[in-house]
Amino acid sequence: MTTLMLVILGLVMGVVFGVALEKGRVLEPGVLVRQFQFTNFTMLKMFFAAVATGLVVLAVLNGLGLTALHPKAAVMGSTIVGGLLLGAGIVIAGACPGTALAQIGAGYKDAWAIVAGGILGAMVYGYNIEAIEGLLKKGDFGKITFDGLLGMPFWLLALIVAAALAGAMVALEKWRPWRADMAGLPGGDRLPPEGEAPMLSGTAGHKA
Amino acid sequence: MIRLTDSAWSPYAAGIVIGLLQIPAFMLANTALGASSSFVTAAAWIASIFDPAAAQIDYFAKHMTSDKYYWQSALVIGIAIGAWLSARLGGVKRPSFAKAWSELTGVKSLGGRMVMGFIGGFILLLGARIAGGCTSGHGVSGMAQLAVGSTVAVIAMFAGGIVTALAFKRA
Repeated sequence: MTTLMLVILGLVMGVVFGVALEKGRVLEPGVLVRQFQFTNFTMLKMFFAAVATGLVVLAVLNGLGLTALHPKAAVMGSTIVGGLLLGAGIVIAGACPGTALAQIGAGYKDAWAIVAGGILGAMVYGYNIEAIEGLLKKGDFGKITFDGLLGMPFWLLALIVAAALAGAMVALEKWRPWRADMAGLPGGDRLPPEGEAPMLSGTAGHKA
Repeated sequence: MIRLTDSAWSPYAAGIVIGLLQIPAFMLANTALGASSSFVTAAAWIASIFDPAAAQIDYFAKHMTSDKYYWQSALVIGIAIGAWLSARLGGVKRPSFAKAWSELTGVKSLGGRMVMGFIGGFILLLGARIAGGCTSGHGVSGMAQLAVGSTVAVIAMFAGGIVTALAFKRA
């Protein structure tokens, strides 16, 4: 694909991504922070649904030999330290790198500051990459995957994990209906009526 | 069915839509969904305005020249456009900053929130670049590939988030 085609593809995919982040309310700072306080489960539900869908998609595409996978390397030192900072950053910023852009589109002015801070953070990392990697690039296990460690075909383990996640979503939804978590959020007072659209009602029986 | 004019979708419907985006990502862009690399692309271009030597740094140079990063930069711009479109079509209006902030932290001014957001954004991207991915790259995409490193990253991300959120009010 030409660069121009890739940019157009990226824009179109981004629009779909942005619509999903806004409609699912996972761009709301309150949703993210309260997930870490375990008082709102919108983020975990969306995350499970996205991962389960991705697992099924990749089980099919990779299982049929249509695409190669691109797993990231497991470098324990940098993954753990970076992950801890990332989590702290999500709570203080009230956004992930992608949702910060969604917040700008949705009208939150403070998200511009998040993006500016983020660009500075990426710049500081780039200028100091050798020092940081020297310090943290410890415990490099390479691009290991769970299917590889277990000696199973990717598609099989992917479908098993997707089924387990679907089960977890059914249980989560029974325990805590998604509509309850939308109350108090922007637009949360005008949710589509229950039952009108089964896929929306979140009965979660449909496997992701 | 879900509609663009709905004010909200269930998190399941939204998650399925995001998961389906892996099809064009893998089949057409030959990569997985991700967002945080685009911040390096932006940082590299900005740095090179003030510092010609920035483009000599391999990490910056890679993010300025590879097609994959042009695709991802377009993706995050698309995210902003998509969220704007969705809020407009759904008739959802938002204040200049989320009301959750005054409930959770007591921050009541946009200026205060911007300072906090800037610091948070800095930590967010520093962490994402150290970890080699964010909630999208490690979380949504890495776990969908059963990657061990991404699973560790998500666990660490939750640990960091839970500990930091202890400092906030539970409201």
